[in-house]
Amino acid sequence: MSGALNGFNVAIALLGIGFLILALRRDLIMKLLALGLINSSTILALVSVRFSSGAAIPILPVREGAIVSDPLPQAVVLSAIVINFAILALALVFVMLLVERYHTTDSERIEREIAADERRKEEG
Amino acid sequence: MILPIIPLLHIFLGFLALAWGRSARATLIAGFLFDAGAIGAYFAGSTWFEPILVGGWGVPIGIALSFDRVSLAFFILAAGLELAVAVYVWSEKRRPYFFMLLNVLFGSTYALVFAQDLFNIYVILELLTLTSFLLVAYERRARQVWASLKYLLFASFGMSLFLLGATIAYGYTGSFNLNDIQTSVAASSGAPWVGLAFALLFAGAAVKAGIFTFSLWLPAAHSTASTAISAVLSGLVIKMGVVVLIRLHSVLRLDLPLLVLGAVTGIIGAAYAIASLDVKRMLAFSTLSQIGYLLVGLSLGGEAALTGVLAYAVAHGWFKGLLFLSAGECTRAVGSTNIPDLINARARIPLAARLGLLVGILGIIGMPPLAGYIAKGALIGGGGGWSLHALFAVIGIGSAAAFVKLFPLLSLRAGARAETPSRLAALSALALPVILFLPIARGLFGNALPRSAWSGALVWESIGAIGIGLLLGRYLSRRPLRLPQRIFQAEAGVVSILAGFLAVYLLLTAA
Repeated sequence: MSGALNGFNVAIALLGIGFLILALRRDLIMKLLALGLINSSTILALVSVRFSSGAAIPILPVREGAIVSDPLPQAVVLSAIVINFAILALALVFVMLLVERYHTTDSERIEREIAADERRKEEG
Repeated sequence: MILPIIPLLHIFLGFLALAWGRSARATLIAGFLFDAGAIGAYFAGSTWFEPILVGGWGVPIGIALSFDRVSLAFFILAAGLELAVAVYVWSEKRRPYFFMLLNVLFGSTYALVFAQDLFNIYVILELLTLTSFLLVAYERRARQVWASLKYLLFASFGMSLFLLGATIAYGYTGSFNLNDIQTSVAASSGAPWVGLAFALLFAGAAVKAGIFTFSLWLPAAHSTASTAISAVLSGLVIKMGVVVLIRLHSVLRLDLPLLVLGAVTGIIGAAYAIASLDVKRMLAFSTLSQIGYLLVGLSLGGEAALTGVLAYAVAHGWFKGLLFLSAGECTRAVGSTNIPDLINARARIPLAARLGLLVGILGIIGMPPLAGYIAKGALIGGGGGWSLHALFAVIGIGSAAAFVKLFPLLSLRAGARAETPSRLAALSALALPVILFLPIARGLFGNALPRSAWSGALVWESIGAIGIGLLLGRYLSRRPLRLPQRIFQAEAGVVSILAGFLAVYLLLTAA
């Protein structure tokens, strides 16, 4: 890793931005975009760790004596990408279910509507 | 040899359940029979349980699986719950998809208790997140959907922190294998990356483990899920975060964060359980407070303390499963989860559900000689002075004060309705091990179980704590406690995960 603008530092910056959106925006779609940003930032960190600038791609056959970057993070990162895709897809389906019922993506309004539903059920 | 087969077999059974349709429910029983056979083979001294490197590669690349006493304890806990849940849902109408998810859920818990590799742990934790996310919202009620969406947001954020921690550890050690990381950590003690990596890994595991300030998704998710799912989530899935914490703790001692978070979780969880008037929500908060015991016990370090933690985890899994199943029976008979409503209509509750509730409550508040008492004795036998006794007494008083609200339900008069045979069998499958916990723990842990702990003093200590708790509960029942509920909203939960991470980081670097 060299210089301030390496993959790892960029990843931390993206994580921070994603966290701020996740914590401050009440819109569920924005929250899921932020979650995607956070997940992608960890993927960037994983790919750029143990990466040395100018190293060869770790695919066989490799030239004799060439510096090759570490293949393991680049292999395992595939699982992380697939998992994050599955999570985002499922979360979007669930947001859809909530929108069908309450016609809003605002997290606080959904919270209020559900509490109101509870009260109606208890009274009726 | 058999280690990679066990989780894969359960996942295969899951897909069989989808293909099979009508007899999907039999796959859970088949999975349990296989597990029971595996446990029998282990105690018969089989050599199938040797550690293994999957894939035929060397150490940093191959995925290490091993079977130690942590795996054994959680394997038996999971198998017991699998039997109870399989029998409980036998007479219920469920789609094959439900049984597939349950099979995959059990398969991934087995994979997790064998895992010795950070990336493998990450993948399995995500698999657990996805399956429990779908199971919580199985009935698609709006509150279930919202609770599990919040769970997914928090858990996915926590898992990103976990993966970042694993990335940092990999960057400095060149391996995801826990043994390799332990060697590197021992060689570079006090290096700044160690504190950062382990605080991130701790935060990720803590989101799944039901620890206060990390797991604010827990009360909503565990109280809105259907009965059998709540029992599995509270009894088993929460413990998987604790398993990861045990693994991390064996690589680097995390004493201070575990002690502080354990005490906070135990006390705040008990306070919320006292304040809650919804029976399922109260049980969910009580799970939080019981996780406090496990963390405090783990912070003592050493083999004896670990035995205590394992004994308590198994005991809690079973009596909390029993409590959720019996409470589910009560709410099914009455049609409400509100405790005053249940008490008003208690004549409609079947006797078996009331007996199950009685055994579960006596177990959780630590009445000798039931499971809670035995396991607490094992925890206290792990070391620690009077401050530990005092902390355990406070959490115990809190538990008793919370459960005193359910006491009016426990009358033993014959009920109006009899229980369905399958549900009766499920309740007894969990009630029996709670009553007979001492011989089970002896068989599980052998001589590692400290005997000196069950002196006369401990009996008086537990009965005293129960008595004070009952009085406190009676006193508080006339003055309802109002505690803030806003912290369980989506925004506050995400901020509190980050705040918890910072607290863990400071505690780790300060020690």
